[in-house]
Amino acid sequence: MGASAPRSQDTPFLPDFCDIRAVFAVVLTGELLALVLALMSVPALEFWPVLGSTSLFVQWVGLSAAALLCAGGRHLARLPPAAASFAVLGLVVGLTAVLSLVAVWLFDEGPQAPRLGGEAWAFLARNVAVGGLVGAVTLRYLFVQHQWRLNLAREASARVQALQSRIRPHFLFNSMNTIASLTRTDPALAERVVEDLAELFRVSLGDARAPATLERELEVSRRYLEIEALRLGDRLQTRWEVASLPGGALLPALTVQPLLENAVSHGIEPSPTGGLVSITGRVVEGVLEVRVENPLPPPGAPDRGGNRVAQDNVRQRLEAFFGGAAGLEAGPGGGRYVATLRFPWRERTP
Amino acid sequence: MKVLVVDDEPLARARLAALVAEIGGATVVGEAANGLQALEMAQASGPEVVLLDVRMPGMDGVETARHLARLPCPPAVVFTTAYEVHALSAFEVRAIDYLLKPIRRERLAEALLRARQLAPHRAEALTALPGGVRTHVSATQQGRLRLVPVTEVRYLVAGQKYVAAGFPGGELLLEESLRQLEAELGARFLRVHRNALVAPAHAEAVERGDDGLYHVRLRGVGLAPAVSRRLLAGVRERLRGR
Repeated sequence: MGASAPRSQDTPFLPDFCDIRAVFAVVLTGELLALVLALMSVPALEFWPVLGSTSLFVQWVGLSAAALLCAGGRHLARLPPAAASFAVLGLVVGLTAVLSLVAVWLFDEGPQAPRLGGEAWAFLARNVAVGGLVGAVTLRYLFVQHQWRLNLAREASARVQALQSRIRPHFLFNSMNTIASLTRTDPALAERVVEDLAELFRVSLGDARAPATLERELEVSRRYLEIEALRLGDRLQTRWEVASLPGGALLPALTVQPLLENAVSHGIEPSPTGGLVSITGRVVEGVLEVRVENPLPPPGAPDRGGNRVAQDNVRQRLEAFFGGAAGLEAGPGGGRYVATLRFPWRERTP
Repeated sequence: MKVLVVDDEPLARARLAALVAEIGGATVVGEAANGLQALEMAQASGPEVVLLDVRMPGMDGVETARHLARLPCPPAVVFTTAYEVHALSAFEVRAIDYLLKPIRRERLAEALLRARQLAPHRAEALTALPGGVRTHVSATQQGRLRLVPVTEVRYLVAGQKYVAAGFPGGELLLEESLRQLEAELGARFLRVHRNALVAPAHAEAVERGDDGLYHVRLRGVGLAPAVSRRLLAGVRERLRGR
């Protein structure tokens, strides 16, 4: 523990000043400030000499501050944002004051150099004021930007959570009804359905970001179909051909089960005679393929909806997990409805 | 009280039948697995209450209820549903009762009691239930409910009081207006006259008759509805594509 890497939600809002990009940002900001200050210097003829000397001074302060922040960054990161801000502001103001005095001492002569005396004190005060104000504004900017980034991360995480596949409420209540019925006639079977249902909901209510092994996902899918088979009786027939799939492959949890839920809801339930839902798996050049087929709904059957929603949900979670390497295709084909899931073979590294 | 249990799921039927049997004064006179079977059993055993699952394959509960309401002695209907209640909740709770699965015995007993008291008011409410597109048209003939699949209907011709639905083998006199029927079944039927719709799927030809008017000849039925002059071009256009 101790100096271990900070967790993502409490990354310090100050950038790492040892990073060349941060140093470049300091140089750029300093140069902009010098430009503004030079433009404000009244006589137009003096623009270039003023820009030169101001740049020199601002960069001197800026780069020295960056160097000190780079050296002390580790300690600053442990402070709360308010304390860190005051520390940085104090550093910038102090540095400006010290370097202003050094500047007065070094460049006591020359056209732009301020003379010692009252003018020197005015120079010092002006520099400290500008340094403090610019430092405060920059810190505020960094803080706001940090908050914005945090929000973005939080939103993305919330989106993944919201995308989590939720088993349809209809299924829950139907299963409850199945259990209520079995409790009277076949308590042992009722008990098994309760266990299966508990397992399904444990996965459904779990962490959306945690991947599942294919073996586990197929087991959960099988449990789901077993519950539905009890409810639908002879109307639901299933065929599994998944022996060639590697059980250890990873995928987002509940990516196969929603396809089966669609198959039952659109292919079996609307038909008085039911039909066959088949699940076939194969591996083609390192890409895993899981195919779910079901009968087309009978013509004129009312649209039960939800098909597209579940598919889009699966697609987005595949996208979040595999990037563009995975996909889901679905549509009628050969007189049946076919949904094909493809994703790369990835295993958990031990 | 005679109760008919209708649900496409065997386990749901078994539980409901067991619950009804436990309630004093109620007996299960039949268990049906779908809407058509339910209508047949309802006529055979004359239940006072039908416990009707909303979501069934083929003819759903709402359509079954509309046909039940046309029986000479319409039974009271209590819908059962696992989750979707939006189709029914739009109605007055007093007019249409529904039970959520898994159904509680007390709720079921209450519903059966109320069904008996309110039965007369309900038939009307049931015929007015908005549902999806019906699969069958129905009417009573000689005291029996006759059902004909919509896919078999060749024409719908409005008479003075009823709309005649023609199919090979006869006509059914429907109580709804042609306008209502067109609104619901418009995808399957084409208006050819102020008082007539035909099924393009069964149209054979548009011919000029002895009366000088054009008629649509339909497969399997004798009547060829007349096409109004105003609609003739449109009707020809639509039927030519076939």
